[in-house]
Amino acid sequence: MEYSLYDFRGASLNIQIAIIFIFIAVSCTVIAYLSILTGRYKAYKREKKLANLNPVIDNLLMEHILLNDELASNVPAEQVALPIEVFQLPVFEKKWARQALIDRLIEYRNNVRGSMGEQLRNLYIQLELDKDSLRKMKSRKWDKKVQALAELSNMNMSIADVTILPLTNSRNRELRAAARHAYIKLSKNEPFKFFDVVTEPLLMWDQVELFKIISTTEHIAIPNFAQWITYSSNKSIVSFCLKLVVHYNQVSAVPAVVRLLDTKDHYLRADAINCLGKLKIEDVEEKLLHMYNSQPLNCRLEILKAIGRINSGRNVDFLRQEFLHATDFDVRKHAAKSLIKNEWAAKGLIQELIDTATAENKLILKHSMNPLIKF
Amino acid sequence: MENSIWETIGRFYESTVFIYGTILLITYALLAVFSMITVRAYARKDKFNQENILLSSPLAPGITVLAPAFNEGLTIIFNVRSLLTLNYPRYEIIIINDGSTDNSLEQMIDEFELVPVDFAYNAKIQTKPVRKVFKSTNPAYAKLMVIDKVNGKSKADAVNAGINAALYDHFVCTDVDCILDKNTLLELIKPVMQEEKKRVIATGATLRIANSCEFDQGVMTRMRPPRQLLPRFQEVEYIRAFVLGKMGWSLLNCVPNVSGGLGLFDKEIAIRSGGYDHSSFGEDMELMTRMCRYAHDNKIDYAIRYIPKTLCWTEAPASVRIFNRQRTRWARGLAQLMYAHFGMFLNPRYGRMGLIVFPYNFFFELLAPIVEISGIIYYIVMACLGLINWPTAILLLVFVYTYSVMITTIAILWDQLTFRYYKTWKEVAFLCTTPFMEFFLYHPLIVIFALRGYYYFLTGKKSAWGNMQRRGFQTTQKAAATVTAK
Repeated sequence: MEYSLYDFRGASLNIQIAIIFIFIAVSCTVIAYLSILTGRYKAYKREKKLANLNPVIDNLLMEHILLNDELASNVPAEQVALPIEVFQLPVFEKKWARQALIDRLIEYRNNVRGSMGEQLRNLYIQLELDKDSLRKMKSRKWDKKVQALAELSNMNMSIADVTILPLTNSRNRELRAAARHAYIKLSKNEPFKFFDVVTEPLLMWDQVELFKIISTTEHIAIPNFAQWITYSSNKSIVSFCLKLVVHYNQVSAVPAVVRLLDTKDHYLRADAINCLGKLKIEDVEEKLLHMYNSQPLNCRLEILKAIGRINSGRNVDFLRQEFLHATDFDVRKHAAKSLIKNEWAAKGLIQELIDTATAENKLILKHSMNPLIKF
Repeated sequence: MENSIWETIGRFYESTVFIYGTILLITYALLAVFSMITVRAYARKDKFNQENILLSSPLAPGITVLAPAFNEGLTIIFNVRSLLTLNYPRYEIIIINDGSTDNSLEQMIDEFELVPVDFAYNAKIQTKPVRKVFKSTNPAYAKLMVIDKVNGKSKADAVNAGINAALYDHFVCTDVDCILDKNTLLELIKPVMQEEKKRVIATGATLRIANSCEFDQGVMTRMRPPRQLLPRFQEVEYIRAFVLGKMGWSLLNCVPNVSGGLGLFDKEIAIRSGGYDHSSFGEDMELMTRMCRYAHDNKIDYAIRYIPKTLCWTEAPASVRIFNRQRTRWARGLAQLMYAHFGMFLNPRYGRMGLIVFPYNFFFELLAPIVEISGIIYYIVMACLGLINWPTAILLLVFVYTYSVMITTIAILWDQLTFRYYKTWKEVAFLCTTPFMEFFLYHPLIVIFALRGYYYFLTGKKSAWGNMQRRGFQTTQKAAATVTAK
């Protein structure tokens, strides 16, 4: 050993560095193997513990809550005395077991309706599991906060606006999204209030999540989305509201959508045209036709699609014109598709076009008429 | 005098290689740290993402899946069925039969009840002529479309035909012999939908070797490290390249390439960039480079994202002969790419692409085999002249060896800590022994095949795509069935 140390000191710098790095590399490799070993072992233990505990929780919930005849009566949920003593097992003093119980309660609550869901919520409160969630809510870690928000909103526990609203603008996407979902689900009076305060853009993913929450939450008061279409300075909010207008077939918002046709942002304009087409607003056809020639390609395509969707049969000549004379392939294809949608008013015209069109246009028409081809 | 010139050259060479090696080792160490950050961040965020939300959403963006096929008759039905099981609300599958000379097309026509349709094909990217387009009369296969075209002698030409026919704004490019995870589309579109400021022009995910995995009706049911040594080396190499390399680069938004086996692309940018280059042997990397170049030229603030999750399994060459063919082609593609886009090299106009990705690829991907082979020759010459200090040389060799084992082991560790794909301990241990042999058995092959690729590039030797001589996944199933029956 002494000799080796002497050798090391006497070696050149390159060799000394090499020896140090060999030592580091070997140590890191060994540590990596040990980490894989311990990681797998911990996961195995965790899974085993949960595999043992979950059936216990399931039995308790089934026996004492879900299949309990006394709880199935018409007595309001909050007046029923729950057998909480059976849940006070020593294992539930441990944090991981309480978390498993919360997860299981949420799972059951998501799968039952009516009073039974309320009983599960009562159980959550009476076992003071809400305190665990609130403790997580105060954590500085974003993932704990997200977990808490999910638990509280799933259990329909109210959270103060002052706590949630700032989080709806958090820089962390996951936290921001969780806060918005919780706000919509939990806010009793104005679930869409955060639309007024949101400064960050609603990402495509956020929109999908919010859409799901809004369209599946029971007893939610749907406002007139025209207010945000008209006044919001956040383009993503406007775009999202247009989708909601279509989903709720909110004809009362149409004037606001029509006003949006004058916006300078052509992406938003295309969204507005799309919305009007899906709502099948016949009155706007003239305006759409009037603006058609001054529009960029995406808006022109949306106008052609809208005319097809509105299906009034009044503009088949315009569609014919575009189909025959447009130079852009996509414009001709959309015009053909819309012509076919207006077939009831253009039967003779379509046949005439098939007989006289160029080979490429004929192919476009046949393509549009083929039910096997989606577009 | 003559001696002193040789000594000076020798010293210069040694110093250059020393600096080169040091930078490479530091880069790998940094990539290990960066990949740890991105993989952990991905895993933490992924816990809260509910893909199911997208499944029932009318707002889900549409995706076109493109799978070119050339003489894949052995597995074509199995693989198309696998694609049909993908979990996504709005997608279409386009199989491009690139003039196969086997019965791939006939098999598909029979199996999926296909009929020719009048399809208005718009050749935004020039390709070899499309003969026919088929759609299924069976509503169960409404998502499927088959394009039959004249052989374009490249995968690129086939994919370009698919891009021309694609309906949606994003397309996923895969090989028809690849097996995809059922949630592949959900996972690949997520980074596009979750990006806050940039336009995500491509998303990639980890690929793994399918050779010893078990499949049922085109769905992967049991993941195993390959039993054979050569595919197992490739499994380890893929883990290192995807989990450590590409995830590390993605932290800097410097992903050099989205694999041809699986990648989601922005169709508009791909078309405007001219689509895949049919003359390239590394068409995936070439397209990525051109898309980045286009984005820079048009001031598009772009991003390329990578996912550490394994979403695709591909059959790896199990024989040295086929492996040689594959790696020679890849090396030739890299040389072609560097030659074609050398204007980007250290060009600040191309941002990180020009200042980081390109120099890295040039020095540490393209030149690496040349530096290595020159080092070996130098070593041999010095040994013959008796000028080697053997204890020092061996020590340095041990250093490089232990370092390479460490880097690969770290890649396996990130993979294992985050996903734990393998079911048993034995399988993990089996995989962990592989890096110890890689240095001696696998790495020399890579170097030789890469040099062969460069030679072919310089001499312009002709070569065609495809013909990987696949054994097919059914063999695994049949084997498993036989074992069960016994």
